[in-house]
Amino acid sequence: MSNSTPAPDNWLARHRVELGIVAVVAFAMIVVFPLLHASGVVSDFTIRLWGKYLCYALLALSVNLLWGSTGLLSLGQALFFTLGGYMHGMYLMRMIGELGQYKKPIPDFLVFLGWDRLPAFWEPFDSFPFAMMMVLLLPGLVAYLFGFLAFRSRIKGVYFSILTQALTYAASIMFFRNNLLLGGNNGFTDFKFILGHDIQASGTQRGLYVAAAVTLLLVYLFCRWLGRTKFGLVQQAIRDGENRVLFSGYATAHYKLFVFVLAALIAAIGGALYVPLVGIINPGEMQAEKSLEAVVWVAVGGRGTLLGPILGAVSINFLKSWATRAYPDLWLIILGGLFILVVLFLPGGLVSLPARLKALGRKFTKPKAETASPETPASAPTKS
Amino acid sequence: MKYIQRLLLITLLPLGVIAPAAESARATIVQAILAPDAAQTRTLITSLTGNPDEVIPPLLEAWRTDQLFIYRHGETPVPVQLTGEKDADGARAALRVDSGEPLLDAAGQPLRLASSGLKAVDHTTSLRRAMKGVLDVFDIVSPDPNRRSKAIQSFGLAQDTTKLAILLERLPRETDPRVHRALREAVALIQLKDAKDEVKLAALAELKALHTLSSTDFLQRALKEAEEKKNEPVATAAKSAMYAVESHRSTVDFLGTLFRGFSLGSILLVAALGLAITFGLMRVINMAHGEMIAVGAYTTYLVQNIFGAGVTIPFFGFSLPIPGMGLTGSAYQWYFIAALPLSFLAAAIVGIGLERSVIQWLYRRPLESLLATWGVSLILQQVFRLMFGANNVQVSSPVYLSGNWTVNDVLLGWNRVFVIGFAILIVFGMWLVLSKTSLGLLIRASMQNRQMAACMGVRTERVNMLTFGLGSGLAGLAGAFLSQIGNVGPSLGQSYIIDSFMVVVVGGVGSIAGTIISAFGIGGIDQVLQQYLPYWAPGLAWVPGIGGFLQNLAQDAAVFGKILVLGGIILFLQWKPAGLFVTRSRSLDE
Repeated sequence: MSNSTPAPDNWLARHRVELGIVAVVAFAMIVVFPLLHASGVVSDFTIRLWGKYLCYALLALSVNLLWGSTGLLSLGQALFFTLGGYMHGMYLMRMIGELGQYKKPIPDFLVFLGWDRLPAFWEPFDSFPFAMMMVLLLPGLVAYLFGFLAFRSRIKGVYFSILTQALTYAASIMFFRNNLLLGGNNGFTDFKFILGHDIQASGTQRGLYVAAAVTLLLVYLFCRWLGRTKFGLVQQAIRDGENRVLFSGYATAHYKLFVFVLAALIAAIGGALYVPLVGIINPGEMQAEKSLEAVVWVAVGGRGTLLGPILGAVSINFLKSWATRAYPDLWLIILGGLFILVVLFLPGGLVSLPARLKALGRKFTKPKAETASPETPASAPTKS
Repeated sequence: MKYIQRLLLITLLPLGVIAPAAESARATIVQAILAPDAAQTRTLITSLTGNPDEVIPPLLEAWRTDQLFIYRHGETPVPVQLTGEKDADGARAALRVDSGEPLLDAAGQPLRLASSGLKAVDHTTSLRRAMKGVLDVFDIVSPDPNRRSKAIQSFGLAQDTTKLAILLERLPRETDPRVHRALREAVALIQLKDAKDEVKLAALAELKALHTLSSTDFLQRALKEAEEKKNEPVATAAKSAMYAVESHRSTVDFLGTLFRGFSLGSILLVAALGLAITFGLMRVINMAHGEMIAVGAYTTYLVQNIFGAGVTIPFFGFSLPIPGMGLTGSAYQWYFIAALPLSFLAAAIVGIGLERSVIQWLYRRPLESLLATWGVSLILQQVFRLMFGANNVQVSSPVYLSGNWTVNDVLLGWNRVFVIGFAILIVFGMWLVLSKTSLGLLIRASMQNRQMAACMGVRTERVNMLTFGLGSGLAGLAGAFLSQIGNVGPSLGQSYIIDSFMVVVVGGVGSIAGTIISAFGIGGIDQVLQQYLPYWAPGLAWVPGIGGFLQNLAQDAAVFGKILVLGGIILFLQWKPAGLFVTRSRSLDE
């Protein structure tokens, strides 16, 4: 992991290219794209679609924080994403007011279930600040409890993955039930207002898109910063040889718990931004395969890097939007095949492609001039 | 004959008529048809009550539907029944009522008669009522015990007082213990309606002794009535009878739960055994394990169709017609037996293909093998969807797997009993393979220390391939069985994969015994929770704030129980992080 060692003097130099790209793309996404939308060049549909991709990119960053940086493959990130979405969705459901099908002051599905007043736990969600607090609090709490139990008993590796998947599974079968009073398998939809603005209006959608883009940039910068701190180094050390870190006197369980909760919060924020943009949230979003899909984005983009997951999330979802329309039957085969190919032949993901190509090019152009420089892909975690 | 006469005495006494002794059912019916007045006809028909002769129902039915006629040839009138298709003249075949033989003319040829030329045997409302009375109790004397007990139960449940006498008469004569019990219950239920307290009390005592589940409603009604009338002794007796029934019911529920727990445990075990090999012994996380199960289930589906009418499989624009053998009856029923080895083979072949193409490169990278096999799982699911459609396919159960066994009110489904037996069988088979064959020896050697085994000349690559094939084949075998219990669809595997992993993790990776114990443990706990959660739900009300909410949720016993089991597993791993049985290793990172 030579490129991760802290060397503040040349850190900026080594990341000049990446930071340059980020600056340009961020400017394009946060300023240019919304301006184009405001002037009518970009349609509402497109800006909503890209907003969705950016929310998925947040989810991918959270997966990467766990898997890429700490070596914890969580198959439950979609759960936290959805939980965040549900918390925001509850606020949005309250904002429908009496405009639902039944013209009642409570959400339609509650009327349908025979309720005539609001269940107590729904009431505080009339307040936007409370809902935003819950977006962080509930997923954070679930992550803390699960992480505490899992890391305390030193569950790691594939066991951790399987258990997170079981957690997601348990939650999804619960959310599918009407008895939970969270909309059953239809979830929440038909939102009307957010903070007093019409949620369908062009301007609101643009605002939501910008919020997602800015959040993504902030989370990217935060992860960049975290990776440079001592904490980030311990994280990587845990990934590369947990026992050595443990025997050096670090309480790895605490580090892992912190990262796990942090990743859950990032995913939850992504989910909360996702719901008003897409206009629907249902338990289908937290099924096991959604979490695995997020892992595919990270793997295809390049795990252990920061641009990779974002690139993976956006490109695969872009591909999905196209393929599910052009070849609806083949999409899953394409996705599955892509996954196998990346795991087998491109462990570094898309972002390692330039370096690999360069190395390949060197090999062909100057086969004898220099000894083959060992190519170091951005992520080559080895298990000790 | 004697008891019929006594019976007649009982039933006919109110009419004050002594019926003439009848030689046979046919003769009585002929007499009744030819009787000069309606009252005598009715008496004769009523005299058939309790006669078990099988000819009575069809003859009376023919009478009621105007199929009986009187044929006059010379002086003697002959009652005949016209049956069969009408020919050009409107004539039909005629059967003599007295013998059931065709009516012959002088030359000995069967006669065909048209109904227009004959006098139909008429019937009045009261006669039809008498016939119905005969037919009602006809089943009680049927030689088939199932029919008998069914008829008896229906009288009891209807509390039909008019049938009490005939039931009482049958009571000492009934030899079949099950029918005898039904008789006692029916008599007691009818007597419950009696006005006299001592009869009621006796009936309640009898119901208490019988404690049948079907008497609950009647006991409740009797209790309510007694309480309204402030009839203390009857109310007490009804309460104690109800208590006996309730305690019997809880025993039945408990045994039923136990059985379902066992059968669910067997299902989990069957589904997880393959995983216990690929994950437990080889440490390969095969997320496509569920799809191996589905391969087995679809193979069963194909074999069923090959035995039957054949099927056409569409695949990427081509369609592959698979001819069927068109078997029917018992030959067709054998399809399931044929499907067992074939589903093992099919899944094993797919598994070996998977091992050669993907997994062999990933033995040292468990997380990557998880991801790659998940990709395989997605592809296979989509392939199933393209080949067999997105909906579930129909896999019929062979006769020897459908049906139930009822032992002391506990319902035991045949297929579930079979799955339990089957689970035992393949555990035994697997133990044989692993500990008694040379392949088993090589497998154990390679799994314990791959390098050392390779140094000793074991071809570990080949052993890996075969081991993976064995694990996948077991999954396929599981699929064949699960096709008998649940739906067969593209996402069949998904519904078992998480449970299977849980079973293996709880049991302790690498331990077959642990897998067995944890499968039965998880299955049992799940069923117990499903059964008893609704009873415990009211107890959740104390939880501050979300008490009502939890109560509401606990009503969904199946789902809430499953969530509790998963939560319980996480807590269990706090206590035993490596599962029930730990395989010891000197390596730090195992």
